[in-house]
Amino acid sequence: MEWRLLMPELYFLLGIVLLFSLSMRARQDTGRIHRIAYFLAAIGVVVSLAAVGQKGTAFSGVYRVDLFSQAFKVMLALALFLSVCLCRDLNTIRERRHTEFYLLLMIATLGMMLLVSSVELLTLYVSLELTSYSLYVLVPLRRGYGVHVEAGIKYFLVGVTTSALMLFGLALLFGATRSTSLAELAKVMPGLIHSPMAFTGLLLALCGFFFKLAVFPFHVWAPGVYQGAANQVTAFIATASKVAAIGVIARIVSVTGGESIPLAKVLEGVAIASMTLGNLVAIVQKDLKRMLAYSAIAQGGYVLVGILSMSRGGYASAIFYALAYLIMIYTCFLVLVKVAGEGEDLKIVQLAGLHRRSPLLAMALMLGVFGLGGLPPTIGFTGKFLLFTAAMKSGHFFLVLVAMINVAVSLYYYALVVKAAYLLKPERELPPLSLSVSERMLATALILVLVGGGLFPQVLYNLATAAAKVLP
Amino acid sequence: MNLTFAHFPFLSAILLSCVTGLVLILLAPGDRKGLIKGIGLVFSGITLLLTVILFCSFDRTRGGLQFVEKIPWVKPFGISYFNAVDGFSLPLLLLTGIIFFTGVLTMWELEERVKEFLAFFFLLVTGVFGFFMSMDLFFIFVWYDVSLFPMYPLIAIWGGTRKEYGAMKLFLYLLAGSALILPTIIFLFVRSGLNTFDVVSLMQPGTFTSLDQRFAFILLYLGFGILAAVWPLHSWSPTGHVAAPTSVSMIHAGVLMKLGAFGILRLAIFLCPEGWQYWSQVMAVLAAIGIVYGVLVGLRQTDLKYVVAYSSVSHMGIVGLGLATVTVDGLNGAVFQMFAHGIMTALLFSSLGYIYDRTHTRMIPELGGMSRTMPVISIYFIVGSLAAMGVPGFGNFWAEIIVFIASFQTYPILGAIAVAALVLSALFMLRVVQKTFYGPPNAHFADLPDVRFGLGLPRLILVAMMILFGLFPWLMLDVIQTASIPLIGGLP
Repeated sequence: MEWRLLMPELYFLLGIVLLFSLSMRARQDTGRIHRIAYFLAAIGVVVSLAAVGQKGTAFSGVYRVDLFSQAFKVMLALALFLSVCLCRDLNTIRERRHTEFYLLLMIATLGMMLLVSSVELLTLYVSLELTSYSLYVLVPLRRGYGVHVEAGIKYFLVGVTTSALMLFGLALLFGATRSTSLAELAKVMPGLIHSPMAFTGLLLALCGFFFKLAVFPFHVWAPGVYQGAANQVTAFIATASKVAAIGVIARIVSVTGGESIPLAKVLEGVAIASMTLGNLVAIVQKDLKRMLAYSAIAQGGYVLVGILSMSRGGYASAIFYALAYLIMIYTCFLVLVKVAGEGEDLKIVQLAGLHRRSPLLAMALMLGVFGLGGLPPTIGFTGKFLLFTAAMKSGHFFLVLVAMINVAVSLYYYALVVKAAYLLKPERELPPLSLSVSERMLATALILVLVGGGLFPQVLYNLATAAAKVLP
Repeated sequence: MNLTFAHFPFLSAILLSCVTGLVLILLAPGDRKGLIKGIGLVFSGITLLLTVILFCSFDRTRGGLQFVEKIPWVKPFGISYFNAVDGFSLPLLLLTGIIFFTGVLTMWELEERVKEFLAFFFLLVTGVFGFFMSMDLFFIFVWYDVSLFPMYPLIAIWGGTRKEYGAMKLFLYLLAGSALILPTIIFLFVRSGLNTFDVVSLMQPGTFTSLDQRFAFILLYLGFGILAAVWPLHSWSPTGHVAAPTSVSMIHAGVLMKLGAFGILRLAIFLCPEGWQYWSQVMAVLAAIGIVYGVLVGLRQTDLKYVVAYSSVSHMGIVGLGLATVTVDGLNGAVFQMFAHGIMTALLFSSLGYIYDRTHTRMIPELGGMSRTMPVISIYFIVGSLAAMGVPGFGNFWAEIIVFIASFQTYPILGAIAVAALVLSALFMLRVVQKTFYGPPNAHFADLPDVRFGLGLPRLILVAMMILFGLFPWLMLDVIQTASIPLIGGLP
């Protein structure tokens, strides 16, 4: 086994050790800790980019490094780095907890990286738990806002329940196939898909990741956790956790070999329920984070539309959309964190006057939410276009129509956000938002990616197609 | 003449001129309103000039697709940047150029958030130009949405009556349309099996089965029909018109509604001709109801802007009726009507906007005798309403009469009903003109200034266009025929 295969994982492990030893110190300098975490995360992106070309298996076949996993690792490292960028004013987390905060973010990221490379059921489960436990701790870390404990408990309870379901499913799968390796499963599953035991096992195994993706019926935690957790933690959950879930669901669904009509039917039901419920409930939300939570439920449904087409194109479009979603939702959180300077929750109406306070952020927000709403020429439109085309190729006309109607409905509440930022007058005159040079560059880069990715999707799409090719 | 221009990428130049204007407006400091308006004027002027040259250098004897520009864009999906002009899109490009320039001139007195207004306005027009010239389904959809979403801020920020309600209603209606259009486009893409979004390749006979064509046609018709204000999908349109600021009303009624009709023509009719023949009677009935409905509802209005808005619904019904005849004449008339109605309605909204800005009322009973207080602007409005009534000498007359002749041959009863409704509307329009512009003048408005030459210029251009194409209708019909004859000839 070559150590270079595990370069990103080892790098993050080292980072974790470093942060762990720093957290032992009696006196904490929050500014320095932020800088250290910032550089660790930035180099993490570079290291995972450097490891994109790696290929091979490790630990007697339970761990697989291929273009698919490496692409997701880059996205995860990027999500961590972007989330750390938001943490300069981390004033809702106790100062002596800052090191632990970054430590837990790192552990969660490492867990997700292991997750997207695992090709064996138990490894999958252990990686998932590694991720989940760090997030269970991160959510209630926020101070001074009553809802954080409730959010933490809710997240934990829903999480452990789905994880129990998932374990049960894994046991059933093992019972039906006598193997825990996904490669073995891929060989026998197409023949077994009509056996109730294997099918139930597969569905229950997916539950753990439906929870991460927050799709119906495992979505109940999302609004509470989004609102209750610190804004930076929510940003991390909304980006990294979703990306990892998309990767694993695609990998697990692909073992059925694209033949499974019952699984496609179940996924179709989940997708339609998530989209419809998420979009309809999002309409009435007043709190921006809650609204984004419901929109995330709907977006999870769109991604499933691509995955359930069970074709190369479908998986490729899901990978493309994972990146698109990462960028779009992060853009919203960047604006949210900047506008909510004290780290408070933000009502949508509090965005009022943003176009005067910071035209750049207002522009980024508009492109971000219109991307989520699927308006061209943003990356979100191109992503949805790819997803829907893949589903249409597999013959799901009705599903695509429902999804597009959902997109039209969702534009109502996305337009309300834009309206707040561009039209509403604030109750009292608010000072302009001051952005540091790096924040300006970040916002500009996001705008460029949002539009550029939409207009010139070819490079990214080719990468996504190449990554999807390694799936069975 | 034609050879010298053959290799100059006119169409991209038009888009580039709009985009350059947009970028310069965004870069200009927001408080230098004069500079920003100047940029807007210069670039809309260049765009108008380009469209006029384009119109003149189109080879009428050759017809077909001209000024073709094609670059592969996303190869795995067969998406290409494919622009071309044919006899159907050329009149609409010219129309957009004219309305764009006159729209910028009309808003010359705007003082509130000028930079953002012009930026959104330029973005909208870029989308419209792109839509009319693109021959690739993917780009057509992208341009369609690009041209729709600026309407929301344009109405919600600078609008008037119930602006936020009107803006949101319009936005949601039109996007509901795109919810039908996008799945259908993808459906056609997948069903063709050609892995291309190129309209020219997809419109080859035999690409789609008869059943697919019927299915796709009706979805596209309903999707674009919302924007074309086909009854009963029109209800966003009067609300939106009334809420919008003047130049947005102009571009909205003048150009955007044509986007819908043109979408039906370019996508539904080009790609699914069998579906067109199958559904043509439904189209005809809906169009006739639209004509009658627009007239009857217009009769009850006391707000001048609603009068014009409902007349738009009925005039767009004429376009729909023309398309429903499935004949060369019907197509000629429909496309000519798109152009003529665009110019005429822009003139009406533009003159109305001037009157409203001075008097702050659009209620017919409160106005009165305007021809004595503001003679010049009144003449513009009256000329516009004469054109709306279909008086000979204006382009509208030719367009309407061609459509009616065609529809009498195919649908005699519907045609008769539609003509009767329009005669009624003419009577009514005369009464509106009489009440608003003649009779005792309202003393409150006695001191209001009449339009100066500079501000009247956009209206003058529009009147000139109406008369030009009224006196020389073959200027336009020659162009349209180059596209309509082959289309009908190629029908199965």
